[in-house]
Amino acid sequence: MTGELPAALEAEYAAIFAYGPIGVKLTGGEQTAARAAEAAHRTLRDALVVALQGTGLPPARAAYALPEPIVDRASALRVAIVVEEKAAAVWRAALPATVDTQRRQALDALTGCAVRATRWRRYAKVDPITVAFPGKAPA
Amino acid sequence: MVLTDLVHGGDEKDETPNGVRRRAVLALGAVVLAGAGASGCGLLDHEPAEPPPPDPLQPLADDAVRLAGLHRAAASDFPERAAVLTPIAEAHDAHAKELARVMATAAPSPAASASASAAAGSVEDAVEALRVAEKAAYESAVQACLKAPNHRAALVGSIAAARATHLEALK
Repeated sequence: MTGELPAALEAEYAAIFAYGPIGVKLTGGEQTAARAAEAAHRTLRDALVVALQGTGLPPARAAYALPEPIVDRASALRVAIVVEEKAAAVWRAALPATVDTQRRQALDALTGCAVRATRWRRYAKVDPITVAFPGKAPA
Repeated sequence: MVLTDLVHGGDEKDETPNGVRRRAVLALGAVVLAGAGASGCGLLDHEPAEPPPPDPLQPLADDAVRLAGLHRAAASDFPERAAVLTPIAEAHDAHAKELARVMATAAPSPAASASASAAAGSVEDAVEALRVAEKAAYESAVQACLKAPNHRAALVGSIAAARATHLEALK
């Protein structure tokens, strides 16, 4: 439990920040999915804030760098995929640093991010929509 | 120490209490050595070697091989779904290969699972059967991740998450 959970918290702040502009550029079921994704990341953030209570956890910044400007539906979907992949990576990295309940939380977080990334790839018509090792950097 | 005593322990000294103790120690050592030799021979000559216990990740690898075969069979039966099913089959192949690497066992060949058959009438039935299999395999992988030592947790966690994404992809 060293730097892995603070890194996960940073990624969750960034995901929550990104889903604001993402949601604006989407409509219908895609917008609903964006709002649900944002809510899921807020839940993960809240759990991390509790877990890291009293450890001098990093505060949320006013803004986070986006992988590209969100100007339309296509860029919104691309950013959503990247946001989920990045969050999946930090949660995967947290697994070896956790046991028991915290490992279960990290695994559920990794799984949620991986499933949302899959959903966004389907909306964006990215092929294939699955990756072999979610959260692992491509070799 | 023993050799020193053998070389330097003269007759006169052997009559002292210390000399008696030295001889006793030497005799005891001989008995221990004889015992060890005998039990060593027994292990080698009379008892079959104990097989090492199976690696806790072996069931996960077996699932991966089986699922790869199921997806490949379904992709063959329903080519219209191959764009989704084939990458999933390949992901299971990759899982089996990586699990074999960390367990230091021989990697299974994709052919090992070629005999699997979806045996389902409609594409909906076939996909539903795959979903049931993926869900069970996901739950096994979750349990394996929770029990895994730290150095295996990330790999097993990725495999669990991948199986959950297969469920999503099969919707």
